[in-house]
Amino acid sequence: MQSLEDLLLYALKVAGELGASYAEARYHKVDSTGFVSRNGVVISAYSEVSEGVAVRVLADGGLGFASTNMLGKEGVQRVVELAVSRARAHARLLKSPISFSDARLGRARYSIAPVKGFTSLSLEEKLALHREFWERVSESVKEAKVPVTTLWYSEWTEEKLIMNTDGAYISSAIPRLTVEYNTVVHHPQKGYAQRFAFFGASGGLEWLEKWRLVESGGEEARAIERVLLEGVEPPKEAVPVVVGSEVVALIVHESCGHPSEADRILGREAAQAGKSFIKPSMLGQRIGNEYATVIDDPTIPGSYGFYLYDDEGVVARARYLYKEGAINEFLHNRATAKTFGVESNAAARAMDYASEPIVRMANTYLKPGDHRFEELLEDIKLGVYMKSYMEWNIDDERWSQRYVGLEAYIIENGELTKPVRNPVLEITTKAFYSNIDAVGKELRFYAGTCGKGEPSQGVPVWFGGPDVRLRSARLGVVA
Amino acid sequence: MISMDMDNISRFVSELMKKGFDDVAAKIEVVDSVMVKIANSSVSVVQSWKRMPVDLYLAKNKRIFILHFEPKSLEDLQKPIDSIIPLANRVTESPIYAPLPEPSKIRYVEEVVDKRVIEAANNMSNIAERVIEVAHRESIESVAGMLQVGYVETALATSRGALLGEKKTFIQGYLRAFAQPDGSGQWCYTSTTLDLSGLESMAFTASRYAVDSRNRSEVEPGVYDVILSPMVFANLLEYIISMTSAMHVIMGWSMFMKNSPGDAVASPLLTILDEPRNTELPNFRSFDDEGVETYNKSVIEEGVLKVFLHNTKTATFMNTKTTANAGWMIPVPWNIVVRPGTATIDEMVAEVRRGLLITNNWYTRLQNYVEGVFSTVARDAIFYIENGRIARPITKVRIADRFGNILKNVAMLGRELYNIQWWEVRTPTKTPYILIKNVNISKHTI
Repeated sequence: MQSLEDLLLYALKVAGELGASYAEARYHKVDSTGFVSRNGVVISAYSEVSEGVAVRVLADGGLGFASTNMLGKEGVQRVVELAVSRARAHARLLKSPISFSDARLGRARYSIAPVKGFTSLSLEEKLALHREFWERVSESVKEAKVPVTTLWYSEWTEEKLIMNTDGAYISSAIPRLTVEYNTVVHHPQKGYAQRFAFFGASGGLEWLEKWRLVESGGEEARAIERVLLEGVEPPKEAVPVVVGSEVVALIVHESCGHPSEADRILGREAAQAGKSFIKPSMLGQRIGNEYATVIDDPTIPGSYGFYLYDDEGVVARARYLYKEGAINEFLHNRATAKTFGVESNAAARAMDYASEPIVRMANTYLKPGDHRFEELLEDIKLGVYMKSYMEWNIDDERWSQRYVGLEAYIIENGELTKPVRNPVLEITTKAFYSNIDAVGKELRFYAGTCGKGEPSQGVPVWFGGPDVRLRSARLGVVA
Repeated sequence: MISMDMDNISRFVSELMKKGFDDVAAKIEVVDSVMVKIANSSVSVVQSWKRMPVDLYLAKNKRIFILHFEPKSLEDLQKPIDSIIPLANRVTESPIYAPLPEPSKIRYVEEVVDKRVIEAANNMSNIAERVIEVAHRESIESVAGMLQVGYVETALATSRGALLGEKKTFIQGYLRAFAQPDGSGQWCYTSTTLDLSGLESMAFTASRYAVDSRNRSEVEPGVYDVILSPMVFANLLEYIISMTSAMHVIMGWSMFMKNSPGDAVASPLLTILDEPRNTELPNFRSFDDEGVETYNKSVIEEGVLKVFLHNTKTATFMNTKTTANAGWMIPVPWNIVVRPGTATIDEMVAEVRRGLLITNNWYTRLQNYVEGVFSTVARDAIFYIENGRIARPITKVRIADRFGNILKNVAMLGRELYNIQWWEVRTPTKTPYILIKNVNISKHTI
């Protein structure tokens, strides 16, 4: 039987014989298993294996991609032929030929060894998590009821072997754990409130202890009940706003990470996720004050977006996207790096074998400062603390954005007092990064699945940040 | 074209039954497709796929297992399936379990396999060149977008004896045009047959909106009467109609948790159908994933919620009958169709004293599914309407309201239907322009 390595080498050989100036072959397997429960009872178990080969070529300046799960020599040869011939057929529609920059390509094997493997808990113990979560959440509310909780639990492993005609050879295996839950809280007179939470990391079951799912699910249900029963509107005037790290994390992902993607800046995603307010010439321009330093780093141990080499085989490193208030660096793959005359900083990622590698974030976070949480609050006579959110969106050039708080509180004389129901922070990117006047010291990360590309690809990312204080913002309310 | 061996699939299901499962369903697809991505009026990448995904539904002692594989062959699945068997008695019984339905005779819709679509897979450069050229007949700077053609074979076998197959072709595309200094417009097209005029019309509409929306200004937030283009209404319907899925109701993901069929949930002007047997739209099918014959149905009829979308399991859980929308776990709408009205766009604009025409949107998110609290970002061409006339293009607003209000405040429907499917609308949808009264519009405050 042919080895995967032989199969990929064969793909590269065929591409070369067909005249491709560059070829890359990737074996990519995503193997996941998990359970979905409602009110503590598992309604189904699932298992998914996506496994196949992706081929990408440059031919006559055109970029061709093809993939198949038919993993024989014949199937792979067929998709290489398709990738080359179709890239070539479209070359006449190119305004300029596509080419790749030089890059620090790796030849390495790496894998993550979980502290606690997926088999370190029994099936019964994993199922007990669902039951205990439901029991804790439903018992945590007093006047309201919890009509439904749902919980998704997934263990998954991503294995890749990447080879290209420029000499890269990367073999990797990354296990990940993901838990999501949905809690609905209802009161007959006050209506409904809803919390969706998402946890993810690379590694194994050691994360269950860190996440404290049962405890935090109960605490959140109690807090949401308070918002539902006692929540008031935010002040109508502009007030200081302490933006919780969960919201900050999302803001930096949306308003720094995405607009810093070089393919977006060049218009490659213009019809899908959009363009960017950042233009190619804007490196060095100010976007905020000295607190605005945002870093994207794929190499954070245990992170959900962890990798050491990207899907073009380039060595990963931390990227300083905004630095002390200035637009500092874009996220690049080898094609965008060539256009900008720089080296790739290893941002090429593909969701699975059926997906082309495109420019993506990994783990994006705002650099923490030196304030304790109490210090962020202490000078505020009247303000709002927005701890968590449900609804959010941002325009397609990543300028005008909206975050609706779920758990939020009035700040009075430096203390948290009444809960606030559905406060709306609707703000531009520059206003956010220019209005920060104090930054917390505790950096926390949150997991998500970032969507981009056509066909749409969801890749695991962390986004993080400390709590930050905005000098002044006028909050709205939902309709 | 690849043809699947139905006997082999049937044998595969029989062998799984011998392993001790009570219910088995296997869905196998063969997908052959090509997509051309366009950016800056140039081709950024040509992507091709040859895939054979295999989906399995297994149940044993009322425990449910859903499996998805992309194997080299069916034989490769034995090992992962064998690993499920020891779990079967350790997982708890599923409260939504119901036996797979007995097979009934399926009346097939007329199969749509357009050879021109299959041939177009190797001739996409000509189609791409054509739509780019049509778009540039207007005074635009560039276009971006996507064109895709494909061929899909689906085979379904169940342990109850269903053995069904269907083939289809599809063509989809969308284009976003940019015009200096700040104009942009976007439109899309979807079909099961090669219709170049549909793609040309898509290109023309995107460019026209781009040119017409140059030199934008801002408006104040507040309450406006809003005309939603088919692009926008299709996006909102994707969320709203998915919430009529009984599983979403059961799981707490639905604004219809508080409702039952028979409740008035929308304006009497509004009728929305699920049309799996509409072969013009790419998601047509003769049978669902449980092997039940599909049928077209009103989901909302003259403002009244008529059904939740069911498979056999959710139907049993809610003591009703399946609507042939399986999804083994989650019932799904197939093709969404809005019953047209009689108005022209000009007649709708004439109705509006202070309002907006929003031609595209993206990033719809909900604060609360149960209460339908949402916002979505208006994008591309947006026009301020004053005293029955389009006054000027505007920018940077979002709709921030409740889906219930949107449904109840429908005031006029256009007479022309448009085929919509794109990055923000995955379910093929036919809908007209639609006028909604009293919509809350928000924008950033700093």
